[in-house]
Amino acid sequence: MVEEESVRVVRCGGSELNFRRAVFSADSKYIFCVSGDFVKVHSTATEECVHILQGHRNLVTGIQLNPNNHLQTFVVGLKLHALFTLPSAEDSVFVIINKEKPDVFQLVSVKLPKSSSQEIEAKELSFVLDYINQSPKCIAFGNEGEYVAAVRDFYLSVYFFKKKTTSRFTLSSSRNKKHAKNNFTCVACHPKEDCIATGHKDGKIRLWRNFDDDKKYTYTCLHWHHDMVMDLAFSVTGTSLLSGGRESVLVEWRDATEKNKEFLPRLGATIEHISVSPAGDLFCTSHSDNKIIVIHRNLEASAVIQGLVKDSNIFTGLMVDPRTKALVLNGKPGHLQFYSLQHDKQLYNLDIIQQEYINDYGLIQIELTKAAFGCYGNWLATVEQRQEKETELELQMKLWMYNKKTQGFVLNTKVNMPHEDHITALCFCNAEKFENPTLVTSSKDGHFKVWILTDDSDIYKKAVGWTCDFVGSYHKYQATNCCFSEDGSLLAVSFEEIVTIWDSETWELKCTFCQRAGKIRHLCFGRLTCSKYLLGATENGILCCWNLLSCALEWSAKLNVRVMEPDPNSENIAAISRSSVGSDLFVFKPSEPRPLYIQKNISREEVQWGVFVPRDVPESFTSEAYQWLNRSQFYFLTKSQSLLTFSTKSPEEKLTPTSKQLLAEESLPTTPFYFILGKHREQQDEKINEAFESELVQLPLTENIPAISELLHTPAHVLPSASFLCSKFVSSLLLSKETKSGEEIPEDVDMEEGKESDDSDEENDFTEKIQDTNNTDLGEDLLHQLSKSEEKELRKFRKVDYSWITVL
Amino acid sequence: MAAGGRGVADPLSPAGVPCAFSPLNQAYFALASADGQLRVWETANNRLHQEYVPSAHLSGTCTCLAWAPARLQAKESPQRKKRKSEAIGPSNQIDLLALGTAVGSILLYSTVKGELHSKLISGGHDNKVNCIQWHQDNGCLYSCSDDKHIVEWNTQTCKVKCKWKGDNSSVSSLCISPDGKMLLSAGRTIKLWVLETKEIYRHFTGHATPVSSLVFTTVRPPSESQPFDGVTGLYFLSGAVHDRLLNVWQVRSENKEKNAVMSFTVTDEPVYIDLTLSENKEEPVKLAVVCKDGQVHLFEHILNGYCKKPLTSNCTIQIVTPGKGKKSTPKPIPILAAGFCSDKMSLLLVYGNWFQPTIERVALSSKEPHMCLVRDISNCWAPKVETAITKVRTPVMNSEAKVLVPGVPGHHAAIKPPPSQTEEVESKRKLGENEISIEERLGALDIDTKKEKDDLPQTNSFPVLLTQGLESNDFEMLNKVLQTRNLNLIKRTVLRMPLHAVIPLLQELTKRLQGHPNSAVLMVQWLKCVLTVHASYLSTLPDLVPQLGTLYQLMESRVKTFQKLSHLHGKLILLITQVTASEKSKGMTCPEQKAKLVYEEGAVEAMRKGRPIYSQPEIRMSKNKSEEQNRCLRGCFGYFLRLEGQHPYKTTTRCHPCFVQISAFGSLEEKLLVLTSLWGCAFCTPDFLGLPQRNHEALPVLFSGVQVLKQSLGVSSPATRIMRRTQK
Repeated sequence: MVEEESVRVVRCGGSELNFRRAVFSADSKYIFCVSGDFVKVHSTATEECVHILQGHRNLVTGIQLNPNNHLQTFVVGLKLHALFTLPSAEDSVFVIINKEKPDVFQLVSVKLPKSSSQEIEAKELSFVLDYINQSPKCIAFGNEGEYVAAVRDFYLSVYFFKKKTTSRFTLSSSRNKKHAKNNFTCVACHPKEDCIATGHKDGKIRLWRNFDDDKKYTYTCLHWHHDMVMDLAFSVTGTSLLSGGRESVLVEWRDATEKNKEFLPRLGATIEHISVSPAGDLFCTSHSDNKIIVIHRNLEASAVIQGLVKDSNIFTGLMVDPRTKALVLNGKPGHLQFYSLQHDKQLYNLDIIQQEYINDYGLIQIELTKAAFGCYGNWLATVEQRQEKETELELQMKLWMYNKKTQGFVLNTKVNMPHEDHITALCFCNAEKFENPTLVTSSKDGHFKVWILTDDSDIYKKAVGWTCDFVGSYHKYQATNCCFSEDGSLLAVSFEEIVTIWDSETWELKCTFCQRAGKIRHLCFGRLTCSKYLLGATENGILCCWNLLSCALEWSAKLNVRVMEPDPNSENIAAISRSSVGSDLFVFKPSEPRPLYIQKNISREEVQWGVFVPRDVPESFTSEAYQWLNRSQFYFLTKSQSLLTFSTKSPEEKLTPTSKQLLAEESLPTTPFYFILGKHREQQDEKINEAFESELVQLPLTENIPAISELLHTPAHVLPSASFLCSKFVSSLLLSKETKSGEEIPEDVDMEEGKESDDSDEENDFTEKIQDTNNTDLGEDLLHQLSKSEEKELRKFRKVDYSWITVL
Repeated sequence: MAAGGRGVADPLSPAGVPCAFSPLNQAYFALASADGQLRVWETANNRLHQEYVPSAHLSGTCTCLAWAPARLQAKESPQRKKRKSEAIGPSNQIDLLALGTAVGSILLYSTVKGELHSKLISGGHDNKVNCIQWHQDNGCLYSCSDDKHIVEWNTQTCKVKCKWKGDNSSVSSLCISPDGKMLLSAGRTIKLWVLETKEIYRHFTGHATPVSSLVFTTVRPPSESQPFDGVTGLYFLSGAVHDRLLNVWQVRSENKEKNAVMSFTVTDEPVYIDLTLSENKEEPVKLAVVCKDGQVHLFEHILNGYCKKPLTSNCTIQIVTPGKGKKSTPKPIPILAAGFCSDKMSLLLVYGNWFQPTIERVALSSKEPHMCLVRDISNCWAPKVETAITKVRTPVMNSEAKVLVPGVPGHHAAIKPPPSQTEEVESKRKLGENEISIEERLGALDIDTKKEKDDLPQTNSFPVLLTQGLESNDFEMLNKVLQTRNLNLIKRTVLRMPLHAVIPLLQELTKRLQGHPNSAVLMVQWLKCVLTVHASYLSTLPDLVPQLGTLYQLMESRVKTFQKLSHLHGKLILLITQVTASEKSKGMTCPEQKAKLVYEEGAVEAMRKGRPIYSQPEIRMSKNKSEEQNRCLRGCFGYFLRLEGQHPYKTTTRCHPCFVQISAFGSLEEKLLVLTSLWGCAFCTPDFLGLPQRNHEALPVLFSGVQVLKQSLGVSSPATRIMRRTQK
């Protein structure tokens, strides 16, 4: 049994990854990206999240590596809008802050007090640049921190740290049409030379030189982008410049010439940020669809860190694919994204529209508006629409069959203009007794259509295809919703204010319900024991429950329902209502109007969609309030597209990587290279160690030397003068050292032999070492005896030459 | 060398490729292939997660692998104020994978970082590592090897904790007891060791060949009468090389017991074993055994005591390729591994080749004793690098998909004859109608025979050909007739065709209209002709609506764009044709026409009066009437369009199929004409011929035009009346 704690709202799917430029670690192995209140550390090789840096309580707005200590990162948040560091300015950082007026930002330098604590409160601010842009893309430091360039609107300002002067260059603005879109959008500085690259709204890139002189400055133009340049970055050496924009193409300008350029096209979405690893081997681009692409120096994409796609509007709502158990919703434009909730990562995007997406401002795109899974995931119905003008609606419905042989969806039927107006709802009949798949579409044109799968075989091939079986309407009202009862025997279609019930066998109108409380916004049947109830939520904030047996209203409640979702595994129905403060959750059974569970204010934002996801392994909450979470989990999506759910697990119960759990220490393996080069060093180390060892061994020996013990243990008042004792004392020490070194010599040879055999066979290493240690043990024992008993004999060794020790 | 591949593999090693699912929720599947590479796949989307090539992969091929166990660990984080919504971190990360190699070293690989974590060499094995087991609690690792030893590793320090001789021959398999205090090892015999003292607790003998797999199948003893010491009473399972029996043993308190309790038969040597532990006594243990022959056997059994007869599997799963054509026979696809999902009701199957295995979740049904899954993995060899990066899957859109455009049957519900109940009610009326129609048909037949006799000598054989073609459904013959472009010929043929062939011809035309737009152009001419000439006959048919429902829908959908205009044009053309026909009938006698229709004189007069509206030259009744009419109508349309003041045909970037098809029809006027003529003469149901009364604000000019026309024509009643049969 799970220990019960209060149900809390937790976020899954992560926050935006593309809010700020990602930062590479010094060795390019990791990438740091800002994600909501956290900083996530991903591995560039495996795309996996290795760490999450927590500390802020609000949006993190900037992240930089400490240039002088690669293991340290700075993170800022809350009211500070961006952060920069410079290797030359060791203990100060630069932040963008807001001064009084909402649109005025300043770049200030902050002196970091020396402190070891994690949170630092800095008070020393020194002003650098005024009236700059809020975005960190509009600030760049150049030539190892000699100057800082900032752009805003139509001018570029450069502040020289040494001279402490600011130069300002203004581009001709909207005087004539040609220069109307001259606005600066981003800036980057050459790492070695005095060169500033600026991106502009019209797609031009200007390279500025000689800007230390107000009159002699020059600029050259690079023009490929047809739309705004979103970000610019110089490579580490400064030989090439990277740029990207809405075209979703990464452009590499080599040698700052217009002719030499390389492209990496089809990156999927607008490039928002570009960053370059300090080692120079990797780039990464952050995209508007919440992903980061890691790109090799040779312009080959090597990894994708993909969060929940947040670019597009969610029209399809949340669904669960019965086959993969993944959450399905709108993803990339024209795609359905499959998001695995168990693993909390995106599985893939299914390309439904299959047309090249032209990423350009003002184009009206085909949108995927509806989707539904049917028959245990064997069928997928999708509706796409494009509407340029009011009368020019283009609709297409596609019915995809899951092909088990190839393990993928195959288009079975394509229906052009299934309805004459927008399709408002789409639902499959998922009852088991219906061997013939049935789909219902309802539309604003006042009709609902029933589509069934029929045999289309002819002499050439065996085939099945969908055909329209029935078209229903009710007094020319717009059909707004449709849903099947659990057993599939009844179909409910709402026509504005009226709910009609149809027999799914004969398609006869059985009865109608009308509450005159505004258009029906949500409609669903009760499940299991509550299958005799039909629920409808209206625009005017009334939730009605009709009894289908008595054809009467069972109960109604005043609730401004935004989301209503039935749990497929129980009778429960979750409704999320919107109030002025936030959204509230109500879980209830249709049979009783009293809710099982209420949680107020689950989100400050408006909740747009919700879905119950069946659990793989049922939980066993005993408390009545949480029983609705036993068999399914409820996920909901807010307007800003954060995916939230309810959890009872305490945060401490999170699993951490096993490597950390086991505290296994990293013992990096020896490579062949190591065997060649490291060999010599190892030997040296060994010898140094021996030298150390000998010193260490000496210490306990001092007690055994009679001269010393005599010196130490004799009461001070009976001791002779120090000068008398001195020579004796020193000579006793000398003696012991000599004996030691003398014994070491044969041993040392032994070790070397051992090492040589290592080379030939790694496996013998262990046994050899065991011998080694045995040897040393014996040697020490011997040493003890020797030093005690036969001092005189050992004195001879004094005469042996030890000059080699100095060599070591 | 060991890099030779599966076939050359040492008989002592587990027969299959070393592979394993990651613990907890089987998010990953690690497979160490014979080429020395480690590949980790994501099970949910069958995507290659990462590849790792150990530096010594050629000499030290990976022989076994094991994922580190997943454990919950309390994280001592400073208790901060509860946030409204907190992120679920990258939970349940399983990131350590232990790999045993053929040279005796053990590598710890981190799948999160994608790099080697540490290497356990010193003091370990000097021969091939056969099996690795993680201890579930204390972070120890146990390995056994061909060097006859078992080694206990401390993974924190990467040092050997203990090394002892496990057998007289090589030790091939290990398994740790559920309580973590005992260790099973298998070489020639199976031994149960006490981990603390490294002493033998029990011996089990029974397998003739080296034991290749060991696994505990229960966590609790079957009977709870005696106190449970952690191991006594537990069952475990063993499989051996070249052995088609899996033995089940029970750890008993008395020392003497050495024989297997029971056994399971499988078809080949077991390669991969997975099982679900039962929660309670009633729940059976589910066992999935992958055999060397590529089949999976599923067992469900409640373990309690002896069973002499070997148990056979409850279900066998096989995977085969689809046989292409009749000649090639389906070939089996080997299953590499199978693992139960956390819901215990479905199985993750890994099949295909080790280079590009397919991972699929299969739902289990207890009823079927044999599951044969047909899978096409031929395209698995295609490079998937692109999709691996972009994470985009493209579902197949091939030409075999059915396309429904408005007008094609299936796009809209078929118009069915009224249901039987109403038929019964209206049976009386129907009877009467039927009589008439039979009469009519007889009469028509008479006329046909006459006509054919009359016409045969003088005209070409087109009507005959057409009739024959329709009867025999001969495509060639029909093509010959229907593909003519001569309008006069079409007209004459239609005029002379037998009445009974009208409906089949219409159906044939409908079918062809749905086809390629180019051919549809011609068909429209035919259709127009048939409908004008035989309108009266068609209107007599009682079951016309269901018979021509498809055509009706087709036309309705295709003229949707200029509906009002089409309506008007239809009416005009109908009027004009009928007028000319009646004019003509004055001069020359056509048996059918004369016999069946009589027109009101007023309409004809009105038509003449109405001329000036269009400021057109008067309609002269020349021989080439159709041309004249067309010209007149074009004029009309020009007039209307000018008044409308907009170009009706807009080029759109994305053409509606309806547009595409119409666009093939030639010039603009031609298109409109086709559209409207297609429409107008279609049916004589009052609904269609009723002038557009609704929405007249939308097309005021058009509507006023109609009004003027109506007034000038002196037609106050719906035009149907003109059409009504007055013969009787």
